[in-house]
Amino acid sequence: MATESIGLPFEATSAAAWLVWILPFAAALIMPGIGKISKRATGYVAVGFALMSALSAASLLPLAIEASEIHHQIMWIEAIGLKGGVLADPLSVIMANVVAWISFLIMIYSTGYMKGDKDITRFWFWMMFFIGSMQIIVLSDNLLQVFFGWEGVGLASYALISFWYRDKKKDHVGQEGRTVLGLLDYYAPTHAGMKAFIMTKVGDVMMIAGMLLIFLFAGTFGFKELMGDHEWAIAMNAQGLLVPAFVLLFGGAVGKSAQFPLNEWLLEAMTGPTAVSALIHAATMVKAGVFLVARIGPIVFALGAAGIMADQFFEIVAWVGAITALLLATQGMVNPEIKKVLAYSTGSQIGYMMMALGVAGLSHQYVDGYTAGFFHLISHAMFKASLFMAAGSLLHIVGSRFMTDMGGLRKHMKKTYAFMWAAGLGLMGAPFITTGFWSKDAIFASVYTSGNEWALPLFAIAVLTAIITAFYTTRMIGMVFFGEKSKHIQKMEEEGHHIHEASLSMWAPYGILAVLTIGIGLIGLSTEHGLHHMFEVYLEDSFGIHSEYAKAESSILPEFLKGINPVALGASLVAFAIGIGLGYIFYIGRWVDPVKFVNSNIFFYAIHKVILSRWYLNAIVYWCFVVAPLWLARGIFRYFEKTAIDYGMNDGFQKATAWGAKVVQGTQTGVSQSYLFVFGAGLLFVVLILLM
Amino acid sequence: MLEITSTPLILIAILGTVGVILPIISIARKEKGSNSFYAVIAFAALIVSMAYVGYEFINENVAASALFSDDVIVNDAFGGFFAIAMLIVALFTTVGSFNYMRKHNSPAVYYSLILLATIGMILVAYSTDLVMLFVAWELMSIPTYILVGYMKKNPASNEAALKYFLFGALSSAIIVYGIAISYGLTGSTNIGEVIEGYSTLDPSLLPLALLSVGMFIAGFGFKMGLVPFHQWLPDTYEGAPSPVTALLAAATKKAGFAAAIRIIVLGMVALNLDWTLALGIIAVMTMTIGNVAAIMQKNLSRMLAYSSIAHAGYILIGLAVAPYSSLGLQGSLYQIFNHAVMKGAAFIAIAGIVTTLAVTHIDKLKGLGRRMPITALGMVISLFALAGVPPLSGFWSKLMLFGSALDASTALWWAPWLAIAGVLNSALSLAYYGWITRKMYFEGETEKRVSEPKSIVAVMIFSIIFLVGFGVYPEPLLKFVEFATPVVSLGLMP
Repeated sequence: MATESIGLPFEATSAAAWLVWILPFAAALIMPGIGKISKRATGYVAVGFALMSALSAASLLPLAIEASEIHHQIMWIEAIGLKGGVLADPLSVIMANVVAWISFLIMIYSTGYMKGDKDITRFWFWMMFFIGSMQIIVLSDNLLQVFFGWEGVGLASYALISFWYRDKKKDHVGQEGRTVLGLLDYYAPTHAGMKAFIMTKVGDVMMIAGMLLIFLFAGTFGFKELMGDHEWAIAMNAQGLLVPAFVLLFGGAVGKSAQFPLNEWLLEAMTGPTAVSALIHAATMVKAGVFLVARIGPIVFALGAAGIMADQFFEIVAWVGAITALLLATQGMVNPEIKKVLAYSTGSQIGYMMMALGVAGLSHQYVDGYTAGFFHLISHAMFKASLFMAAGSLLHIVGSRFMTDMGGLRKHMKKTYAFMWAAGLGLMGAPFITTGFWSKDAIFASVYTSGNEWALPLFAIAVLTAIITAFYTTRMIGMVFFGEKSKHIQKMEEEGHHIHEASLSMWAPYGILAVLTIGIGLIGLSTEHGLHHMFEVYLEDSFGIHSEYAKAESSILPEFLKGINPVALGASLVAFAIGIGLGYIFYIGRWVDPVKFVNSNIFFYAIHKVILSRWYLNAIVYWCFVVAPLWLARGIFRYFEKTAIDYGMNDGFQKATAWGAKVVQGTQTGVSQSYLFVFGAGLLFVVLILLM
Repeated sequence: MLEITSTPLILIAILGTVGVILPIISIARKEKGSNSFYAVIAFAALIVSMAYVGYEFINENVAASALFSDDVIVNDAFGGFFAIAMLIVALFTTVGSFNYMRKHNSPAVYYSLILLATIGMILVAYSTDLVMLFVAWELMSIPTYILVGYMKKNPASNEAALKYFLFGALSSAIIVYGIAISYGLTGSTNIGEVIEGYSTLDPSLLPLALLSVGMFIAGFGFKMGLVPFHQWLPDTYEGAPSPVTALLAAATKKAGFAAAIRIIVLGMVALNLDWTLALGIIAVMTMTIGNVAAIMQKNLSRMLAYSSIAHAGYILIGLAVAPYSSLGLQGSLYQIFNHAVMKGAAFIAIAGIVTTLAVTHIDKLKGLGRRMPITALGMVISLFALAGVPPLSGFWSKLMLFGSALDASTALWWAPWLAIAGVLNSALSLAYYGWITRKMYFEGETEKRVSEPKSIVAVMIFSIIFLVGFGVYPEPLLKFVEFATPVVSLGLMP
């Protein structure tokens, strides 16, 4: 293990690793009881437990710095020798801290955001349940245990998306009355929760299939055991099952991280309270997929040493990421709902991470893409959580989810305005000062230098996506804070509502994250180098993946220039400039009216319509997997169940039995002579069948 | 020669002495109506017998199931197993009669007859000689004819007795005929020698041997209640006093099975016939007709009579697959033991209902769960155990029976169909068991609790503990069954 140590004044313990996820579950368990005593207290308990969990996670940080690990196992199911345990290595420790501290901040935010909700106990229960499940995913040492957490977060996500299950009009998403291919593009919270649950379940089923396939050959679910020897992989590869198994596992990640083609649920997930969107659908749960790929990716890559090439796996990961990044970014440009824009953006940014992790496996320098993807995960978690919480404040104050109902708010909500700019710049990748810039630049560089046949197309998509990202972020800020006040706001003010800043408990959390986005951004390059070095050691020690290029390079070049690729840097700068420039023209300077621009010719109009209709993807999914099966089910109900089953089998069976009973009773005449006759005939019958 | 302390002889001594002495005491005392005095004596005799059988088992003085012996009876585990089952039922009947027979005269004779019939049943299970078996068979049958018609003033009881006697006489004649044929073919009445003779029989004489086996099936099938020898059964069970019905359904029926296992299964193994199909067909017919007829019955005794027919069909599955699966006979014995308790308890419950409320019509059972809670509970547990609902004891025996049919499927292509028929029939049977349960617990609002006869309550509590206890923890009973089951295989020679 590496010897470099900053020397934190404490040691990491395995107990802390267990506590990180047990504490939130404990909180969830006692929550209903506390809710009975005092509804106000539930919030404090939740925040307290979230803080304790976060402190436990922080106490694991020495592991990341020293690039060592804690692996603690207990017997889980004795009969089949299954062990459960925690594996706190640099990857999971960093992730656990990101999850824990962002959760903590969002919990504080929630105390303001959810104030006065009468179902607040249920909200806290599910939030804590979610955090516990998420930390299981992060800290588990085996796939099966991960799957338990995986389903746990899915369940919490379902319950929180449909949190406002009374389906009031204000809690819907989509524009009322708008249809795509004959289907309403307008969803109630309960519907949205179900949609999310079912769509992610498609991925989950793939994931468990992949897991079991691997278990069949390896006889273990444990990550350490899978890293340990390559026999299972060689056996699987001989049957051509290695790549399919890992692609199935990746299917789980696709579902959970809302990647193409299982991306459509994330938009409707915005029916949940905004705190939920920030925590689950921006910062943590949707990153579980990325985390899983980061967990299994090195295992697959390390198989290269055993002569097993699994390039198809990484190609699939990279392309799924690239397609998602572009597809969702385009839709972010046109959507009028602020949370949906952020949701599209989230899916798109996760696409970036997937792309980086995929490209990593295709290059010789695995650690570059790996670091880039994971760095982007961290920076995205910060600025996107911040943006979501800020959006939540806007919703709270304005009372509408549409950006067209906002406008001109910069004078009324100065803090939110400033923080949204800071976090938004992170999303756009504003050069040199934001974490988003460094992480995105790292992705560009890793894609560009991967030396793979797909490098250039992927790079082009990445840059195009970056332009679009900068554009829609500017559009969002422009529509909300610049220009005239909308009719909605004017009406509110006429009715005596005062447009004001959100309360401290709300703005402080997203303020902190926004400041961090800039703050860490200022030292972004050295942060990246730190991460890079950490993962270099981690991959070397745990998986035996060497990083020759970096070692050769580090001896020649000065430390602070390492990792900067001029092409990538140039592309980042240009993309940012074009994106923000276009956005400024349309939405901040308002020199051109976007509505008029779109309607100016049939070509723009058609593109706008296709994108606004979600590339018709959602409608196609609904037609194929909802409308058609329902139609089929109704047919079966009417023409099979009603006739063959209900009438034929149920009635028929009953009548046949009654008839049979009558017949048998008919033979029971009560006359002894006839009984004796039957007896005699029976004797004859028995002898006859014996003779047969 | 058997030792004088061997179980069957001691049982004959105890039960026979008491059975003979009871009427003499009654004459000497010249008293009428003191029912319980004789009941207690009979009860004591049965308990002592039971204790002795149990003592012999615990001291391991019992030989493993020996199929053959040079003597007319053999002291083996098979007989001991049946002896215990029958003694339990005889105890049920005795205890259940405390109240039931209170209003009837000559109680001493009544209990004496029960004891004598019990000796007969036990000896059937111990017999290894056809003549001995026949004598035991008659010793069992004749007292029961009288018991069924014990209520002289009741026309239904008289009709029941007459029908029962007619069929009993016919079947006895047929059994004697079968014995005669087999004696003619082999020159012996010892079962072991008969079977040895059968296995070396001249092929031209095979039809005669088959005829004898057919006779045995018909003769014993009468007691077992196999279709098509079953028709007397519902009429008799309905007309007889309920405790006597319990004795018939739960005990004499089992004697039929004991005889069938001793003779038919082994005999046909020796004849090397594909005879299993015949038993399979009879099994399916029996269970189906029993259940289908039971569904529409309105009289509780009659419904359970048909259910009893259906259960003969389940038990026969084990006999049919016996040569191909070691589970077959085990399942049959297991089910026989359980059935003795389940059916015995159910009929004793009816006896309790009849003595207290004087009803047997199912519609009149409304609210029984409130009126007679313990009787109703015992009844429901027995019924569910009969249906094979886990975790009651009846579940495990049915599982073993149906499992044996599946187990035999490698040798018999049709064997799984026996299991399927059994499962479907069990489902069907739930229809009428559930019907009774629904009447007792979910209908009727206003009924008040009435006092339940203590003797009935005692039987109910014993049955509930037995059925639930061995349902949750079947291990001891299972061990006992395994120990008592004779090994039957196609290559068997005496």
